[in-house]
Amino acid sequence: MSSEMSRMKFYCDDDRCIECDGCTVACAEAHELPTGVSRRKVVTLNEGIEGKEFSTSVACMHCTDAPCEQVCPVDCFYIREDGIVLHDKDICIGCGYCLYACPFGAPQFPRDGAFGTKGAMDKCTMCAGGPQETNSVHERELYGQNLIAEGKVPVCAAMCSTKALIVGDAQDVANIYRARIASKGKGVQSAPYGWSKAYGN
Amino acid sequence: MKKYLFLFIASLFLASAAFAADSQIWDAMRVQNILGYGQEGSYKLGQLFTMLQANYFAQVYLAVLVGVPAIFVLHYLFLGPKVFSHDGKKIYTFSLLSRIIHQIAAISFIVLIPTGFIMMFGSSFGGGSFVIMMKDLHGLSTIAFGIIVIPMFLIWLKDMFLHWDDIKWLMIVGGYLSKTKKPVPAGKFNAGQKTWYWMATLGGMIMILTGAAMYFLDFNIAMINTMTGLSQIDLLRVSALLHAVVGLGVVILFFVHIYMAVFAIKGAINSIITGYKEEEEVEYLHSSWYKKLKKQGKI
Ligand code: SF4
Ligand code: SF4
Repeated sequence: MSSEMSRMKFYCDDDRCIECDGCTVACAEAHELPTGVSRRKVVTLNEGIEGKEFSTSVACMHCTDAPCEQVCPVDCFYIREDGIVLHDKDICIGCGYCLYACPFGAPQFPRDGAFGTKGAMDKCTMCAGGPQETNSVHERELYGQNLIAEGKVPVCAAMCSTKALIVGDAQDVANIYRARIASKGKGVQSAPYGWSKAYGN
Repeated sequence: MKKYLFLFIASLFLASAAFAADSQIWDAMRVQNILGYGQEGSYKLGQLFTMLQANYFAQVYLAVLVGVPAIFVLHYLFLGPKVFSHDGKKIYTFSLLSRIIHQIAAISFIVLIPTGFIMMFGSSFGGGSFVIMMKDLHGLSTIAFGIIVIPMFLIWLKDMFLHWDDIKWLMIVGGYLSKTKKPVPAGKFNAGQKTWYWMATLGGMIMILTGAAMYFLDFNIAMINTMTGLSQIDLLRVSALLHAVVGLGVVILFFVHIYMAVFAIKGAINSIITGYKEEEEVEYLHSSWYKKLKKQGKI
C-alpha cells in the first residue's frame, strides 16, 4: 500500500449524502463556472428501486490510468504525482473524446463563440488549478481557484455538512470508510461506490 | 430513395436540435451515463472506445498513411503506369454537371482528409489553436460535401450496380498486377471505381452523420435513441467508432483513387476536367463499355 500513500481520492458516503446539492453550488461559486457546467453533481441512482436507491455526489474521480488521458488526441492531460488528473485548456481542441471514455460523465463543454460550438473541456480539478503559474489570473480564469496550492481542502468536501463527501490521501480516506462501515455493523464491503471503476481493485 | 431523403432530413434535424435546452448527457441524464458504463449486458462501448482509441486507431491510420503510398511507389517502380495514346479520338464520358459535382467533392476531400489526420495526430502538432482551426475546416468542408453527396450518389447510381464484369475485374485486380496491355472486363465504371463510389457516397454519409453527432454532441433527437436503443453518450461512442472505422476505408480508397488518376494511368485525371477519355484507354480499361458504344455506333 505504500505506493498509495500520497494518492488523492474522492469518497462520497451514500449513507450520509442528503442530496442537498451544496457541493455543486459551492463548486460552481468558488470557481465561477459558467451556467450549464456542473463540475460536481449530486445524482440519485436506482431511483424508485426499494433498498437500492441512494444519492451520491459525482465529479471527476481522478482515475488511475485515467481513460480520458489515454484517448486525448492532443495529449493535453497531465497527472500529478498525487494522482490529480488535470488538463491544459490551451491545448485542448474540444473534440469530446475524453467524455466518451469517462465512466462518470465528468468532462463538459461550455458552448463557445457565435456558432455554439463546444469550447475547451472543463472538469473538476480537485481544486488544483491548471498548468499556468499557480494562482495567476490566467489559471484562475481558466480553471478556477487553486486551493490545493494553498494547502486547503477542496471546497466541495470542505462545505459538506454531513461529511459525506471526503477527499484526501487514499489511505486516510480508506480508513475513514472502513471505520464508518464497521460502526454501522455493515460487515466488510470492498470499496465505496465508483471506486472500482475509478481506481481499479 | 426515401431512405436517403430521410438521412438528409435527419441530419438537418441534428443541426436544429443542437441547441435543445435539456442536456442529454449531463444534469439528470448523467445518472444514465454513469450506470450505463460497463453495465452487464451492455456493449461496454466506453471501454471499447477507450481501448481502440488509446491503442489502435492512430497506429492503424499511421500505417495506412505510410504503407499505402509505399505500395504505390513499389507498384510504380516495378509494374509501371499504364500508358495510352493521347493522340487518338476521345470519348465523352463525364457530363459538365457530373464534373462540377465531382470537383466540389474533390475539394472537400482534399480538405477533409488532411485535417482529419491532423486532428488524429493532434499531439504532434501541439494541439491548441492550429488544430482547432483544422477542426473547423473539417467541419466547414463537410457542409460542401454534404450538399453534393446525394446528387453525386444519384447521377452515377445507375452505372454502379454489380455486374458479372466486376467479378472478373476483381479476379485480375483490374489488370494492374501485370505489365501487358490486355482488354480488361469493365463497363463505364470498373469494379474499383464502383467500390470507391459506394464508399464515398454511403460511407461518406455515415461520416457526415457520425461527424455531425460528435460536433453537436448534446442534442436531443429522441427518435434516434429509440431506434438504436442507445443512450446519448453511447450514441456518441458509436459515432466515434464508426467515424474511425469507416474513415479508414474512405482514406484508403481515396489514396487509391488519387494514385490511379494521377500516376497509374497516365493522364487519366484529364477526363474529369475535360469530360473526355482517350479512346485507347476506354478500349482497354473499359472494354465492355467500348464494345457497347461500338455496337451502338457511337464511336
Ligand atoms: S473521472 Fe473521467 S475525467 Fe476524471 S479522471 Fe476519470 S476518466 Fe478522466
Ligand atoms: S476534448 Fe480536449 S481534453 Fe478531451 S480528449 Fe479532446 S482535446 Fe483532449
